[in-house]
Amino acid sequence: MDQKKHWQSFGELNQSEAYNKDVKDEFKEELPFVAEEGSSFLEAKAPRRDFLKYLGFSTAAAAVAASCEIPVKKAIPFANKPEDVVPGISKYYATTYVQDGDTVSVLAKVRDGRPIKIEGNDLSPLTKGGTSARVQASVLDLYDTARLRFPTIDGSEATFEAIDKAVAAAISGPVVILTSTITSPTTKEAINQLIAKFPGSRHVTYDAVSYTGLLLANEATYGKKAIPSYHFENAKTIVSLGADFLGTWLTPIEFAKQYATGKKLDEKNPEMSKHIHFESVASLTGSNADEKYLHRPSETAAVVLALYHAVNGQEISGIADARLKSGIEKTAKTLLASKGAALVVSGSNDVNVQILVNAINEAVGAGGKTIDWSATVNYRQGIDADFAKLVEDLNAGSVNTLLIHGANPVYTWFDADKVKAGLKKVKTTVSFSSKLDETAELCKFVIPDHHYLESWGDAEPKAGYFSFQQPTIYPLFKTRQWQDSLLKWSGSSSDYLASLKSYWAAKVGGETGWDKALQDGVINPSSVAGLTGASFNSSSVAGAVTALGSAKKGGKIELVLYEKIGIGAGQGASNPWLQELPDPVTRATWDNYVIVSPALARTLLDIDLNNNGQADSYEVNPPKKVVKVTVNGKSLELPALIIPGTQPDTIAIAIGYGRSEKLGKAVVGTGKNAFPFASISGSSVNFTQADVTIVSTGDTYPVALTQTHSRYDTKQGVRTEVMKELTLAEYKKEPTGIRDDREKELKPWGGLEKFEGQGTIYPVYDRPGIKWGMSVDLNTCTGCGACVVACNAENNVSVVGKPEVLRGHEMHWLRIDRYFSGDMDNPNVVFQPMMCQHCDNAPCENVCPVAATNHSSEGLNQMTYNRCIGTRYCANNCPYKVRRFNWADYSGADSFPDNQKGIVNDVVLDMNDDLTRMVLNPDVTVRSRGVIEKCSFCVQRLQESKLKAKRDSRPMVDSDIKVACQQACPTNAINFGNANDKNSSITQTRKENPNRQFYVLEQLHVLPNVTYMAKVRNLEEEKA
Amino acid sequence: MHLKYESQLREPLVSGNKTYHQVTEDIIRPIEAKPSRLWYIGFYIAVALLCFGIYSIYRDVTYGIGQWNLNKTIGWGWDITNFVWWVGIGHAGTLISAILLLFRQGWRTGVNRAAEAMTIFAVMCAGQFPIWHMGRVWMAFFVLPYPNTRGPLWVNFNSPLLWDVFAISTYFTVSLLFWYSGLLPDLATVRDRAFTKLRKRLYGIASFGWSGSTKHWQRHESLSLVLAGLSTPLVLSVHTIVSFDFATSVVPGWHTTIFPPYFVAGAIFSGFAMVQTLMVIIRKVFEMEDYITMGHIEAMNKVIVLTGSIVGIAYLTELFMGWYSQNKYEGYTFWYSRAYLFSPYGWSYWGMMACNVLSPQIFWFRKMRRNLFVTFFMSIIVNIGMWFERFVIIVTSLYRDYLPSSWSVYYSPSIWEIGFYAGTFGLFFTCFFLFAKYFPVIAVAEIKYVLKTSGESFKDNMGHIEAENLETFVHEQSHAH
Repeated sequence: MDQKKHWQSFGELNQSEAYNKDVKDEFKEELPFVAEEGSSFLEAKAPRRDFLKYLGFSTAAAAVAASCEIPVKKAIPFANKPEDVVPGISKYYATTYVQDGDTVSVLAKVRDGRPIKIEGNDLSPLTKGGTSARVQASVLDLYDTARLRFPTIDGSEATFEAIDKAVAAAISGPVVILTSTITSPTTKEAINQLIAKFPGSRHVTYDAVSYTGLLLANEATYGKKAIPSYHFENAKTIVSLGADFLGTWLTPIEFAKQYATGKKLDEKNPEMSKHIHFESVASLTGSNADEKYLHRPSETAAVVLALYHAVNGQEISGIADARLKSGIEKTAKTLLASKGAALVVSGSNDVNVQILVNAINEAVGAGGKTIDWSATVNYRQGIDADFAKLVEDLNAGSVNTLLIHGANPVYTWFDADKVKAGLKKVKTTVSFSSKLDETAELCKFVIPDHHYLESWGDAEPKAGYFSFQQPTIYPLFKTRQWQDSLLKWSGSSSDYLASLKSYWAAKVGGETGWDKALQDGVINPSSVAGLTGASFNSSSVAGAVTALGSAKKGGKIELVLYEKIGIGAGQGASNPWLQELPDPVTRATWDNYVIVSPALARTLLDIDLNNNGQADSYEVNPPKKVVKVTVNGKSLELPALIIPGTQPDTIAIAIGYGRSEKLGKAVVGTGKNAFPFASISGSSVNFTQADVTIVSTGDTYPVALTQTHSRYDTKQGVRTEVMKELTLAEYKKEPTGIRDDREKELKPWGGLEKFEGQGTIYPVYDRPGIKWGMSVDLNTCTGCGACVVACNAENNVSVVGKPEVLRGHEMHWLRIDRYFSGDMDNPNVVFQPMMCQHCDNAPCENVCPVAATNHSSEGLNQMTYNRCIGTRYCANNCPYKVRRFNWADYSGADSFPDNQKGIVNDVVLDMNDDLTRMVLNPDVTVRSRGVIEKCSFCVQRLQESKLKAKRDSRPMVDSDIKVACQQACPTNAINFGNANDKNSSITQTRKENPNRQFYVLEQLHVLPNVTYMAKVRNLEEEKA
Repeated sequence: MHLKYESQLREPLVSGNKTYHQVTEDIIRPIEAKPSRLWYIGFYIAVALLCFGIYSIYRDVTYGIGQWNLNKTIGWGWDITNFVWWVGIGHAGTLISAILLLFRQGWRTGVNRAAEAMTIFAVMCAGQFPIWHMGRVWMAFFVLPYPNTRGPLWVNFNSPLLWDVFAISTYFTVSLLFWYSGLLPDLATVRDRAFTKLRKRLYGIASFGWSGSTKHWQRHESLSLVLAGLSTPLVLSVHTIVSFDFATSVVPGWHTTIFPPYFVAGAIFSGFAMVQTLMVIIRKVFEMEDYITMGHIEAMNKVIVLTGSIVGIAYLTELFMGWYSQNKYEGYTFWYSRAYLFSPYGWSYWGMMACNVLSPQIFWFRKMRRNLFVTFFMSIIVNIGMWFERFVIIVTSLYRDYLPSSWSVYYSPSIWEIGFYAGTFGLFFTCFFLFAKYFPVIAVAEIKYVLKTSGESFKDNMGHIEAENLETFVHEQSHAH
């Protein structure tokens, strides 16, 4: 076949020039901008069509470029991935929280190289995994923007070499090393090395709140200037004479744990320890007591004397108050009845009081039973007289070189001016403070110490029990462990790490033993010896009796200075989490104030809490009346809070406030310094004043309270659905009383059994699989607040600052409600941790228009932040009021950067600093402005534990899961787990406590997943 | 068959010796004249308030709802109080136009136009609150159920807030249509009288080519009836659904089955009060005394005393139930938080009682019903009272609910909450001033409709004829004019 060619046009046939050009250009378009030379863009080939495109694009680009200032986020990937760091996987390092004398074995959770959470170390037989609010909050101090970032000489930056040189040149002759209590054996060794290098040197231990009285009393009666171990768990009768052992006294985590074992109620065999408390001002421990008696601070001597006499079978004299007198008699009887299982502790710093307490303990057989002298504790070693002498020496100009670590006497010593004057006379002053505190400010050299999470170290909180520190992060700033300085200056060739390692390697069997010690974080005695007493030398008792017998009578009004759980003697003052932690008893944040009794309020403030109108106006208005307290010519003006359970003629002020603004934004404007009100008597500092004047100034000052109303009874009825408490006698008489009450309440809807189905018109669905549940034992919850701070840390809960707390904007997912009941002059107090109840028939869920909060198949009430539009209806409809709204951009998550200046407090802005934000938990979303948030039952932990079980191909078990509050709780009051699992501890707990168990506001048929166990007080009377 | 004659016992609805032309002149004239000095002053004040409101909202959107003084316990305060208040006000218009139309209440013609406009503006104001009270208003479109790319996410049909979205948007749409369809003949009249090209053009567009043909009138009448029928249930449903925002919750003081009728009665009460406020001003400023007669004023005052008494009974019922139920939480809310004068918010409850229940009782007296000053004063009092009612319901229920630990500190609004509220007044009056300037404030066509039967001179005339000669009267009566 021939190749016939068909043509389509004459052009093709003739292959004309025009045709060829057409063919060539058929699909070709000129580039729009490449028009003929010299012509404009609009004359280009296709300007019409593209013009709008370009216009649109350029407008959008210009808008993006101009309006959105996109903050630069720095994320630097690893060039070489470190072998042991897996992104997204947490590592836990055992270390030790050490602050002044407080020593707690902990685990630091490290995510991607940064410590973000502190957990208790279960291997420690002392704290058994318990923590406190301050331990929980300590991780935030690591990222404190106010930390000193480099060493200074006279306030200007210097290198370590320069400082070492300058200090070496400056040290001549004896050195005085001033520290707070040191529990580390190797540190003590380093101090001794320095002392050896400079003969005549000495080490002075100074504790802001010392236990001088106790130490000296023990020296007088037992021959040992030490503090024994207390064993509250062995005590059937616990008598505390003003010792806040659950809150601030000595080592509250351990004590709370021990105390809780005696308070845990076995429903089948209901026995409890009995706690009788004598105090002047409502404290956390006093609030937990079964029986509480109030006395004036000046009557402490009389009370202890009376108890001493009563225990020894003598007549009581000198107690005017009839209730107090019979209380002492009763207490003595109870103590004697439980001889060998009784314990008396006193918070007094008076040697004579403590001598008599020792005598009472001897009389009730505490030695070897509840008091153990075989292992003494090292938490506090300072003797006030030693420091007082140092102050004299400083002023006499006899100290040439002063090294200060931990102690901050310019702030904490009652006569700060004298300390300041003395410091001026010292040639060389060196501070190792990691922040520019009041004392460091006056020092020539400041060599900031590492944070404990950056440090190596060891500690011996109790004789024979060791705890180790290892760094969890490379030092953030140019800081140096102070022990290194000591070693360097004493001419030692090795640094602290080397000496620490060699010290321990020798003791624990070389490198392997050392590694194991670091891994465990603790070394415990291999065998626990039985508790032993000590031989009691009664020679000093007679003298003490005489001295106390002639104690001065108090004036009209007396003053007590006390420590707050979070703030302590000021150590917690710069920590926003602790400042925002409500005080368990007063529920106030961000300030100190004068605590007055309801009786005093009537005369002094003209407020009668029994008068509805006055009580209301006191409650609903944050500005509180300001009073002026004057002691020995010094005065303070502070707002007055009315706290029931305070002795009528006693007022109290918390120490630890009014600190230097150089410590960070959190201390700005928070409270006033009450240390100047202390005084020294004999060898110890006395934190009470027997005669003060108090007047109302007529001013007001707003106090940020997180709870304004404290009673659950109203004229319209007692809200027993909210809180249930009873006495042990009532319980024994009628064990099912609470259950019967519930049955009665729910009778219209079929009673307890059928309530779920009959309380609603909707069908009831099965809940197979996992069903998360929580149980809170109100008997063992002491209200200490560790869980609150743990929740903050775990869930990135925002700090909002005082102005926002004042407006009711605090964000806490977990709070501890405190209720008073009974007589307002000496009320019963009960604490109730309140978090999202994860209701199965949640009222919040069905009112959300966009289904941002809904129920998971595992019984969680979950919050979808990016779905939430912020109508707040859920918060209104939550009967437990646990939902929190982001009223402003507290977290810095807003897309408008920096638009909250002047809107929120500086503290909040500081919390959003790049440095501070390193504390955030990457597993938990940071909530932005305008959304609701609330307790999630730590869903990130649940998810992690489920995955872990899945990876190991096994069913999930209890030990996999611990929610943050549960883990932090020193008394194990919180139980959590899968309520559908028959073997889980939550199921067991619920099964074992059918009688005390209740749901809060059960009658609403919201079907909560949190059960509470009623508070039982160990009282013989049937009416609490 | 439309009745041509109305009893002499009934008051004329239009006073004076009016002709059709005069009616047109009287009502349309203000539109064609330059606005008065008073109008300008009023308008600028309204715009200034509106600007303040816009700035308040700007702050709330930019810095967060923390600009308001709400807190963890009181999640809604002035925002939702104002929302319910404005929605309530927005009730009278439709009630007057729809229900009264169905009931053949001739007197509605004098006030329906302005009342409907008021309704629309009030609902616009009300709508601002649920929108801007959202924490993330830029996500507000999440409440609209439309197929979307956000996964299987859908709105929550269980939520009363979602019902609100539907109820209010429906109500607004229907009210707007009703109002506008009624405007058509009058807009055409304005167009026909226009003296500038622009006016002619704009009113021409606005009147949709109305020519006044019989067909147009017939369709117009049917449409009015259909819309009236549609609106009637809406009058009841909107506030019923608004009341569900509260009634379906668990909060003591909200969780009440009495709410729907109680809210509807309250809404009509406040709506009529607001109509009174506006009418008393309009008839004075625009010299419309002939069209908005004392008869109109009196009729509305009668509605006010009726609905005021209904809410009064509702309040007492609530109090009774607070005691009778023996529920300690409700008991506390009703008997302490509210009825106890010396409780922190007791003043607001008794303020509400005084304004809503006690003071309207003055309208049992005819003299008072026909007193302009009393009417105006009372209309303001009622609106204050109804604002208090919503405040009482929302705030006094929330601030002390179940857990005493969470009882709130005293809530009072921040300047930006007040600003937002003021801003809605700005919006309302800006709209209303523009409406009064550019639209006939009284329905011209409808006035003409009743003029021959209920106009004063025509009535008088018929009265004379009847008295003189019955035959002529019957003839006149059946005569088609």
